[in-house]
Amino acid sequence: MTVIPSGALTVSGDGRRATLEMRAVPVVDQPRWPARDTPTRPAQISFRVEWVATDEPVRYEDPLKQFRFTGWRATTRLEAQVEVPSAGFSWRSDPLNTSSASFGIIGEEVNGRYFTM
Amino acid sequence: MDEGPRIRSRYVTPVGAFGRRDFLRAGLVGALAGARTLWPGNHALAATAPGASGAGPEQGFEAAAKPALAGLAALAAEDAQNGGAAPFPIPWLDKNGSLNQAPGPGQEPSNIFHFKGRIARANGFTGMGTDNRGRRIPFGTVTTDYSFMQGEYWAGRSERQGAFTHT
Repeated sequence: MTVIPSGALTVSGDGRRATLEMRAVPVVDQPRWPARDTPTRPAQISFRVEWVATDEPVRYEDPLKQFRFTGWRATTRLEAQVEVPSAGFSWRSDPLNTSSASFGIIGEEVNGRYFTM
Repeated sequence: MDEGPRIRSRYVTPVGAFGRRDFLRAGLVGALAGARTLWPGNHALAATAPGASGAGPEQGFEAAAKPALAGLAALAAEDAQNGGAAPFPIPWLDKNGSLNQAPGPGQEPSNIFHFKGRIARANGFTGMGTDNRGRRIPFGTVTTDYSFMQGEYWAGRSERQGAFTHT
């Protein structure tokens, strides 16, 4: 999990559309993951993700696990660029509108201490 | 060292397609391997402490994760006398040693506990791209997932505002 820097996330006023765009985010390249104790290399990813709500409402709630999500299914797309400098490798995706995601949601959630408030 | 054959073997499968461990684990999903350690209080975060060992081309996970941990490490150090400002993980995922789960219908979308705010998740991305040698390479698996959480969270005995992403 990474802290989102100021300005990287934009959400529409109605909460139905969001764009997250981050540059040169440090990540770990571990090609043989999930094998244990395998070599890793520092890498970077720049990406842009867009969520756009559909008209399909979604509500997930589990009192035992203390969470409640209300929102919509979302059409989600991604474009990205990856660099592994120590391996001399880089890669860039095609434009955003050529990608797709099989599952996406956008909305609001409360969990933990906020669940019963 | 000749990196060419190595890169080829690491990132391209015999059929020329990518799997989770073949490429965009390098970045698009590689961060997932680190996600379970990106929380304060564990040994990985300790690797971000001043004086922790540096990183070579290939290295231990903690050293490689050090740059990615910097933001949360800073939060953990903030207001430390009250337990720090880094958010809590989901406790029942923490119990299982995995601080993230693939998003899906009915699943807890958030990666942090004691949270109230806007959130989005997605997975199962598919698409195409091109590497620095001009090779056309697809990306995405069912575990290529992205999220954001923006709003109020409780940490260090206080309500706080923040925005976080799982990549």
